Amino acid sequence: MSFKLSRKWRRTIISWLLLSPLIILVLFPFAVMLITALKPPGEVLRPNWWPSEFRWSNFITMWDATNFGRALWNSIYVAFLSTAIALVVSIPAAYAMSRFRFAAKGFFRQFLLISQMLSPIVLVIGLFRLVVWLGLLDNVNSVVFVYAAFAIAFTVWMLQSYFATIPKDLEEAAWIEGASPWQALITVFLPLALPAITVTAIFAFINAWNEFVIALTMLRSQDSYTLPIQVFSLVAGRYTIEWHHVMAAAFVATLPVAIVFAWLQRYLVRGLALGAVK
Amino acid sequence: MSLNWIKSAALAGAAVAVLASAAQAQNIRVTVAEYSSLTGPYFQDAAAAFEEANPGTSVDIEVVPWDVLLQKLTTDISGGVNADLSIIGTRWLIDFVSEGIAAPLDEFMDDELTSRFIPAFLEPSIMDGQTYGLPIAASARAMYYNTELFEQAGITEVPDTWEELKAAAEAIGALGDDIYGFGMQGNEIETDVYFYYAFWSQGGELLNEDGTSGLDSEAGYAAAALYKSLIDEGLTQPGVTSYSREDVQNLFKQGRVGMMITAPFLSNQIRDEVPDLGYGVAAIPAGPNGDRGTYGVTDSIIMFENSQNKETAAEFLDFIFTHDWRVRFTDGEGFLPVLASVAEDSAFADDPDLSAFTALLPDARFAPVIPGWEEIASITSDALQNIYLGEVEIEPALNQAAERINAILD
Amino acid sequence: MNRSVLTNPYVLIAPGFFLAAFIILWPLYELGTIAMSDVNRFGQIRGYAGFDNFLSVFRDPEFLGALARTGVWTLGIVFGAILIGLPVAMILNEDFYGRSVARVIVMLPWAISLTMTAIVWRWALNGESGLLNSGLRTIGVIDTNVQWLAQAATAFPMQIMIGILVTIPFTITIFLGGLSSIPDDLYEAAKLEGANGWQIFREITLPLLKPFINIAVVMNTIYVFNSFPIIWATTQGGPANSTDILVTYLYKLGFRFGRLGDASALSIMMFALLLVFTIIYVRLAMRGDDK
Repeated sequence: MSFKLSRKWRRTIISWLLLSPLIILVLFPFAVMLITALKPPGEVLRPNWWPSEFRWSNFITMWDATNFGRALWNSIYVAFLSTAIALVVSIPAAYAMSRFRFAAKGFFRQFLLISQMLSPIVLVIGLFRLVVWLGLLDNVNSVVFVYAAFAIAFTVWMLQSYFATIPKDLEEAAWIEGASPWQALITVFLPLALPAITVTAIFAFINAWNEFVIALTMLRSQDSYTLPIQVFSLVAGRYTIEWHHVMAAAFVATLPVAIVFAWLQRYLVRGLALGAVK
Repeated sequence: MSLNWIKSAALAGAAVAVLASAAQAQNIRVTVAEYSSLTGPYFQDAAAAFEEANPGTSVDIEVVPWDVLLQKLTTDISGGVNADLSIIGTRWLIDFVSEGIAAPLDEFMDDELTSRFIPAFLEPSIMDGQTYGLPIAASARAMYYNTELFEQAGITEVPDTWEELKAAAEAIGALGDDIYGFGMQGNEIETDVYFYYAFWSQGGELLNEDGTSGLDSEAGYAAAALYKSLIDEGLTQPGVTSYSREDVQNLFKQGRVGMMITAPFLSNQIRDEVPDLGYGVAAIPAGPNGDRGTYGVTDSIIMFENSQNKETAAEFLDFIFTHDWRVRFTDGEGFLPVLASVAEDSAFADDPDLSAFTALLPDARFAPVIPGWEEIASITSDALQNIYLGEVEIEPALNQAAERINAILD
Repeated sequence: MNRSVLTNPYVLIAPGFFLAAFIILWPLYELGTIAMSDVNRFGQIRGYAGFDNFLSVFRDPEFLGALARTGVWTLGIVFGAILIGLPVAMILNEDFYGRSVARVIVMLPWAISLTMTAIVWRWALNGESGLLNSGLRTIGVIDTNVQWLAQAATAFPMQIMIGILVTIPFTITIFLGGLSSIPDDLYEAAKLEGANGWQIFREITLPLLKPFINIAVVMNTIYVFNSFPIIWATTQGGPANSTDILVTYLYKLGFRFGRLGDASALSIMMFALLLVFTIIYVRLAMRGDDK
């Protein structure tokens, strides 16, 4: 017993040692963000790791100086709504992909892959004209609409791989007991699929939360800026950059999402991998 | 009771709809560049005051970061959804005029409005006898020097020629390992302009008489050789090609460079961030023949030809170019006054820094009126960065850049 | 009626398909129109231009440099992420104390927007005020400040390093899924036959992971090839275009220099390039599987 324990301990030490360079590199930007955010303004340009005092009030002054609250609300609105739309159209599609064989299945799968190949920056002029034609310019809803469409490939991919793991027998058993397909879907399938849908939703949410190029092009006024654009505008061509505010804003904007995301990654492992090789 | 409530709500709704449609008739949109954190609030306040003074109008301000201003204007115009008014770099104006995008303002301008401006700043916005823009921001460039470093290095005279500057930079550089004589910009916007200061002082001109690039001239080679020697002899900060203007200013604010050339807004930043820093403002050094030149730059606010509310837009222009609004803008952003009355205002007339800048204006050169300025600036900056890095010889690099510029100018 | 809706896959995929197609095909059509037109600086169409815009891109001296650098950038990040990701995934697949914490840390970069990551790195890489230099000085790796972004020789490798760092989480996620699909019995059997660690890796792990490696290559190539913020926020392709890749060059063409026709033509060429790569790669990978 004690022999086994010590083997695991040895493995633990070796594993952490091997991982340490990568872990340092990953944590380094977070350290830079936090330390710069806490420096008194006069010390920001000095490259010392330990500020003379921790100026927590920077976070409060940042909030007003960067119009943070408004941008936070816009980001929440955009990410939430676009995720909802993407899910509403992706769930039926993923259900079809996981339950039926049909002629256009391969085509649809390839279409999804190709749709991933077009970077928003390549499409941005065309997208912009589309948004103008729809009359949605400088309307956060334009971004909602575009994000939802771009999220479809990812959400269908994730969802179908989860759906495929839910045995079809359960629905069929419900049919035999006299339930209509709709009833079977709602009472049997959806409860089983709910965890998968939740996880997929969170990833779509984070992608929308972090998107940059489309928001930069479609959103005009500060009232409609999302967080990445708001932070970017603090460093883009102003005559002076208040780095402690930039870093404080970046830190507040990223950390909560990063934690939720990292915590959920174990669900992602299964979904992505299953979707990948099918 | 509940029925009445519904009815009044419906009435209120209808009233709002009517008001909204009435307002829409005189609704203008204004795109403004974000110079600092004060720009947005300034224009929001101006818009609110204008709306109050002109019932039935509404002004929407769209604040855009400088770096993406041209991109936004391009996509907006391509989609036909540009604002009514916009700030642009005056150096882009020729492109807007030649494509028929900017509207001439003369029909909205009376002599009184014209006479408010300092002529030198209005001049660059006039093309073919028509005024296409009003100067919203103006600046010139001068040399900032750190008086404490000068004192420690025993420099008593502020350098007036590049030779003297070199000697001063040597003395200051000897003060310490992380103190540098001359702050040199070599990255991002205006890398080319930082070179022109030396170029002009060698007697160079950006455009030859025949309209071709003047870079491949003796003045160009001499100016590049001068900067290269400053870099090679360790008289500038190391890694020049990673330093944007903002980065060099940061070194200056930390008291780590003796001299640098930049715009008047540095004074505002010093006032707000490091008020104890001892500094002075002087002319950009002269060349061997006494030539010198500073860069004068204005941003213009233009009206779009496709605007549906030109009258209201013109009234808004008139409104923001009044004395009090200009005082607040000029003070907040640290630009030079563009209105004669503001320049005479004691807050600016008695400011020694600003006086130093205004004294340089007779030598000021504005960006030449040529299409494709941004691309030309980028070609020039690329050639300079290669020279600073020592990747190429000076003459072939400048000759090649001039050749590519000539292809655009054709 | 109800039955037919739920059992007709075409009805089920229709909303998703049309929404995605609408938002992708319409802009693609617009792009094609602009690429074949004579457009002015502001994207207003002035006439038909045939393939002039495509030719003008080919003639631009910066184009080939950017193309070559895109190759280095893409290959460097895709293979770098696989070379680092594979051993890391194998470690994270082992049972050790704190494994879930390690997994969380390694996944963190995925959750941050690339823009913010790049802005933070730009600040960290700053020559005089950057914390990277001061950190390296403290531990004695360097004794004078390195101006990381002043020349391509240091800037580009740094950008590729950042690219690898943000690509690793997705890559590892795929690999972890693959590793968990390999039955433990195989390893037990191999050990009984006296195979050493390297033999087990070569004969069992690697072949069974192959489909997962393939998907990581294809997806990462697509994302990395199109990746804009890292280079843009750190150097904007400079100094002297020496860190430009196709997307940053595209952005400059379109939105700095007002050559929208050229930019659209380049967009279409980039799309074609990716499409051809993906088709060839998928074909080759599949043929390998058949053997």
